[in-house]
Amino acid sequence: MDFQLSFEQQMILDYGQNLAQSFGSDYWREQSDAQAFPVELWQQIAADGFLGVMVSEEYGGAGLGMTEITLLMEGMSGAGLPLFMMVVGPTMVLSLLDHYGSDSLKQRYLPAGCSGEKVFCFAITEPNAGSNSMAITTLARADGSGFKLSGQKSYITGADAADYALVVARTTPLKDAARKTDGFTLFMVDLKAPGVTIQPMEIPVMIPEKQCEIFFDDVELGPDEVVGEVDRGFGILFDVLNPERIVVAAMAVGLGRYALKKGVEYAGDRKVFGAPIGSHQGLAHPLAHAHTEIEMAALMTYKAAVNFDQGAPAGAEANMAKYFAAEAAIKAVDCSLQVNGGAGFTREVGLLDLYGLVRLLRTIPVSRELLLNYIGEKVMGLPRSY
Amino acid sequence: MKILVCIKRVVDYNVRIRVKPDGGGVVTDGVKMSMNPFDEIAVEEALRIKEAGNADEIIVVSIGAKQVQEQLRTALAMGADRGIHVETTENIQPLTASRMLLNIAQSEGVDLVLLGKQAIDDDNNQTGQMLAALWDRPQATFASGLSFDGGKATTIREVDAGLEVLEVDLPAVVTVDLRLNEPRYVKLPDMMKAKKKTIDVKTLADLGVEAAPGVSSLGVRPPEGRQAGKKVETVEELVKELQARGLVND
Repeated sequence: MDFQLSFEQQMILDYGQNLAQSFGSDYWREQSDAQAFPVELWQQIAADGFLGVMVSEEYGGAGLGMTEITLLMEGMSGAGLPLFMMVVGPTMVLSLLDHYGSDSLKQRYLPAGCSGEKVFCFAITEPNAGSNSMAITTLARADGSGFKLSGQKSYITGADAADYALVVARTTPLKDAARKTDGFTLFMVDLKAPGVTIQPMEIPVMIPEKQCEIFFDDVELGPDEVVGEVDRGFGILFDVLNPERIVVAAMAVGLGRYALKKGVEYAGDRKVFGAPIGSHQGLAHPLAHAHTEIEMAALMTYKAAVNFDQGAPAGAEANMAKYFAAEAAIKAVDCSLQVNGGAGFTREVGLLDLYGLVRLLRTIPVSRELLLNYIGEKVMGLPRSY
Repeated sequence: MKILVCIKRVVDYNVRIRVKPDGGGVVTDGVKMSMNPFDEIAVEEALRIKEAGNADEIIVVSIGAKQVQEQLRTALAMGADRGIHVETTENIQPLTASRMLLNIAQSEGVDLVLLGKQAIDDDNNQTGQMLAALWDRPQATFASGLSFDGGKATTIREVDAGLEVLEVDLPAVVTVDLRLNEPRYVKLPDMMKAKKKTIDVKTLADLGVEAAPGVSSLGVRPPEGRQAGKKVETVEELVKELQARGLVND
């Protein structure tokens, strides 16, 4: 076991600080207030070579893995830049394309994705299929040599700002599938194509991306747009869903660190009755407790990422990391908010903005309850509940 | 042109400095360390000189324990070509450092030595000047602008009266000020490339120098805490208050 970061890993972790110094918390707050995709920030990340962390070098990426993007996301969130578009694009779509896309798909999308010229989102959730992905009804019917896509997706992060979505659809409806995991196919869909309508949803969480509904009405797809194999998409789905959980855990860890920094600074500075408030155990212990939990969450997150990179099973670790990191981040923000007193609620300190965000992480991309179900059943062998 | 840039590992400027309980210095255990910010500006300037076609090679050098290689790697990741690490755990003071740098500048045959105007740990602001004196070459300190023409360098310094322009013959020593440039971020592909660049490790003996500190520190203590202020209503009251404290004449 070795817990030391390499030089590159440390620099990747530190990168978020560079970005934050250039863009600052005002920029982030303005973009989040307006729910406006931070184009300048995105272009800077692209120019610095970080959109293609997980993409092979021949397609314009850095050829690194989950460990590095995990550190990148922890560092960015730790500097106050928790950018979800980095989860759905570079972590989920680009890495999956790099692994399972045809050469033609890779040529068309990966260099443009790495350079920031094209933006990608990921679409699986539907109004009646959230945690239960088997129940999705978006259907791609065979039509000549290609497909026609119809259905509705919801809660799609950044669909309004994206050029393409990686859409999880059924090519065989659930009732006709031999097993409920059969009949899934993943498609690259041009969001500017005829038949695509995007409708932003109102979700007042302080992030710059909008959540959107996407409606597909007989959208024509060529046979080249299939990622992986027709009807066998489910098998590769967890190669995006586990990474998603791991980087969301990393974001929670980073946000926890960011919040605790604000708590610790204030606790050291603010004097009441002649002593810094941080010297009182009533405030010091919750901060210490929260710090410990964030460190524990970071370790499990790293383990999940390293396992994933080594091709070892990472599901249990990814789920435990995401569950625990979200809980730890909520506590970290809550106790920093308490330590900051009334000041914590000001826009300037920004802890109230973080509160909604970390609370969201208990629910998305997969809820605390489903993670605990998985850990109970799949990891510990308890009887199945559903 | 060949450029030598000297960098120092210091406590990161964002860290709140804490004095050791025994007064023997500041706490560095478990504290984030970084390249001295002025040195980072020196590295950036060297890169810009090379990118403008005025230099062929940038060598970065640092003196200290094994960990200073982290800062050398950072400079290599920014774009410097190769590194020299003078490995020592001894207390190295500016005069000793400048003797080492002299040895390296001469053996490498460099045309320009760039340094930060001072390091943010000890704030000595001596190494560049001492190096120029030992080398018997011109120095231009506190540069906030730098350009080249033939065998000469022109620097701009921000002085109290305005901007002072100095022209120096190369080889020369230039120390850089805060407003010379804004150092770049390290890009991911450059981080990967830095791994493959070489860092030569040298000892004090290799450079024919002994640590021999000439100045000893008697103690370090944190500044006194600020006392609460007092609000006054009028200018007259203010003057009276200052006179009472002996801060202005009656």
